[in-house]
Amino acid sequence: MIVGYVAGKSPLHQAHPFTALALAATVVVLAFALPAPQGPAALAVALAALALLARLPRVLLTALGFSLPFWFFLGVIHGLIGETPLRALTVGAQITAMLTAFLLVLATVHPARLVDALLQRGVPFSLAYLLSATLQAVPRLRRQAADIVEAQRCRGLRVRGSVWRRTRAVVPLAIPLVLGALGEVDERAMALDARGAAAPAHRTALEPPPDSTAQRVVRWLLAAAAVGVIVWRVLA
Amino acid sequence: MAAVSPRLLALIPLAVGINLAMGKFAAATSLPLFLDTAGTVLVAALAGPAAALLTGVVSQTTFTVLDGRLMWLAFLPVQLGVALYASWAAWRGLFASVPRALLSGAGLGVLAATLSWPISLLLFGGVTAGGVTIVTTLLTALGVPLTWAVYGASLSADVLDKVVTFALVHAVLISLPGRMAARFPAAARALGRT
Repeated sequence: MIVGYVAGKSPLHQAHPFTALALAATVVVLAFALPAPQGPAALAVALAALALLARLPRVLLTALGFSLPFWFFLGVIHGLIGETPLRALTVGAQITAMLTAFLLVLATVHPARLVDALLQRGVPFSLAYLLSATLQAVPRLRRQAADIVEAQRCRGLRVRGSVWRRTRAVVPLAIPLVLGALGEVDERAMALDARGAAAPAHRTALEPPPDSTAQRVVRWLLAAAAVGVIVWRVLA
Repeated sequence: MAAVSPRLLALIPLAVGINLAMGKFAAATSLPLFLDTAGTVLVAALAGPAAALLTGVVSQTTFTVLDGRLMWLAFLPVQLGVALYASWAAWRGLFASVPRALLSGAGLGVLAATLSWPISLLLFGGVTAGGVTIVTTLLTALGVPLTWAVYGASLSADVLDKVVTFALVHAVLISLPGRMAARFPAAARALGRT
């Protein structure tokens, strides 16, 4: 199971981040717009092939691992109880197709490259900062939360027992985490202020990812495919 | 976007971190909670609706990216509903006491369940994996129509989760050191002190 960037040299790795994102967005549209159940099923197969072509079989395995519980419950609720197995197949294929596309993008687009690409296109610094600062803050706070659980248990906090006792135990766990985080706000705000975060000026990305005409064509083709399928479905 | 103050830029990533780290506490105490809106509710009480909405958007996006399951993005309206409701509750001073916080938390639970119900029913056929789906499966097996089974399952999970979330935010607000509280004037209003 992997979620996140995997270093590599596949065409998807070298593509501009926006090309990869356009691919994922098109897959989402197609998953719901193509006629069910054949359309979503074919889409899921096509993405599996793409993952193998990009030499990322582990991404495919992760997508299948994530899909498994969905397939199981869809099979029970719609296949066995509701007796509509085609609905189970449709929703299952949609979920697997979207998962594979999204995990492929995560595996091939480095977050720093995406932020650079956004900055180069004139996206405000504050938005790009929010994106990258959050991606850094989450794993750190998760680690901190795990540390707090251990520290409080060392001090004798009981996390077993009746529901009431366990619910009360959440308070001494949550408060240190939240107050610790709020305590950082001042320092960070000053650092951001010193770097002119509030200034609306355009910033230059240090190493903008290269784009090409071919990729622009691919992006337009993807958009055209998404719009085309919707128009065809509405007219038919 | 350019108008976001450095203070909010500093606060929002940390609030999102709180949203996504609280699950560890639910897991450690083996309680059927998500607590994934605690940061959003906190920002609503500290800095008002605009900041809370932004926290909700960033939170849902980040959660989706880190988890790798694109479909969670569809639940964005739930985060936005939570942000707006919590801002209203803070503005009305509903964090002033434990009973008030518990009651308004239950109200948020009903709202959140009502918002997530059509999403999980229409987009995912009622299957969103995890504990809620097990309840849904049990209810459908007992003969409850899928529509109501999904609603019943989200309602039971969401009311409990939001009651605890509001109680926690109340506990945080009253234990906020004076120096910190002074930076967030809205917190006094949430506690009914103005």
